[in-house]
Amino acid sequence: MFIDMHVHPAFYEPINENAEIEEMRHNVLNIHKNGTAPLVHIFNQMKCASLDRLCLLPEDYTTQVGQAVVTNEEIQRLVDLAPDKFIGFAGADPYDERAAEKLEYAFTQLKLSGLKLHPSRQHFYPNDAILRPLIEVCERYNKPIIFHSGVSIEPDTDTKYARPIEFEELAANHPNLRICLAHFGWPWVQETAMLMLKFPNVYADTGLLYFDNAYEFYERVFHHDIPVTWIDRSLRHQVMFGSNNPRFEQIRMADAITKLGFRDSTLELIKGGNALEFLNGR
Amino acid sequence: MVILKQIKLLTTGYNQFVLITKQVLELVQESNITNGMVHVITKHTTTGITVNESLECLESDIEEFLSRLVPEHLPYSHARILSDYGSTAGNPTGHLKAHLTGNHCHFIISDGELLKGDAQDIYFCEFDGPAQRTVFVQIVGE
Repeated sequence: MFIDMHVHPAFYEPINENAEIEEMRHNVLNIHKNGTAPLVHIFNQMKCASLDRLCLLPEDYTTQVGQAVVTNEEIQRLVDLAPDKFIGFAGADPYDERAAEKLEYAFTQLKLSGLKLHPSRQHFYPNDAILRPLIEVCERYNKPIIFHSGVSIEPDTDTKYARPIEFEELAANHPNLRICLAHFGWPWVQETAMLMLKFPNVYADTGLLYFDNAYEFYERVFHHDIPVTWIDRSLRHQVMFGSNNPRFEQIRMADAITKLGFRDSTLELIKGGNALEFLNGR
Repeated sequence: MVILKQIKLLTTGYNQFVLITKQVLELVQESNITNGMVHVITKHTTTGITVNESLECLESDIEEFLSRLVPEHLPYSHARILSDYGSTAGNPTGHLKAHLTGNHCHFIISDGELLKGDAQDIYFCEFDGPAQRTVFVQIVGE
């Protein structure tokens, strides 16, 4: 089972019937010239990358831009179109007074599998009190949270909110809450590794490709910034493959992750085993 | 008279050769132009148009030939985030292979027939798939 845990479906054709919405998505996400993709194309891409499942992540930036970029209902629609291929996460705006209620609805009625938040864009620190109602819902329903971490090249993002060290209290105070630091917290990948060492409930995904090509960047991060042995020996149960498609290159990243020298058993965990535990609990 | 048509393709492979001879012949026939030229031009920079014999062995040889000239692992400059796309450019090999094949081909139309050799077929060449692609077919004549 090969799972991409970090995919943004904002430009999938079935949820882009409205040209104004599509234009808003290009501007808000700072992704341009990519058009919209019919699902058959997405499935072709998955086949080329040898991927079995994609975890679809929405964005609810209502406070910042006036509306959700991709709604939870749209995620549910996509999952319903291909339930054997798609895993759907919910979005939430922590500043919305009804956020916890809406998240509960997303878990119980829309059957979504976790929560995605973006501290840099939504302008909150991971330990802010404003997040507590959402965390309480996730803990009650045993659902994980994927947090954007590290740099973001979306507009209006403050990196200070998403530095890995900011997640320490959250991880310590909620040992039963599984959290993923997306993009491995780049450029602070050693901070991310430190948190994963301290807290088994902290995961990271590999959705990082900020310079060079997929292999070159992975080789830089996973051979030099942190040695491959740190993951292969110590953090092997906490790293999940993610591509951050469509910003980054899913097919080449899925290939590059297999060429870094991990043991086969570690690679299987990164490709899917850890994602299943992150989603369902150990 | 000038007639402009499009062929829409949804490619399925990273590198792929797609025969489009039949579609081009049909468009020429539908145009009712009996003497002139047909121009077949891809809309993209990581795809090509080429004319060759439609044989499995030749497709394999051409693909391997291009891959030897343009290996995936070399340190290309076109490997970075492009700010006007907001996404990573990781397809230098697609651009370079497209540079080698060229983006078009032309055939003469005479007395209602597209003049081509028996062994000649028109290929759309995908070098950065899978993707949604468009080929322009312009038929010019009388």
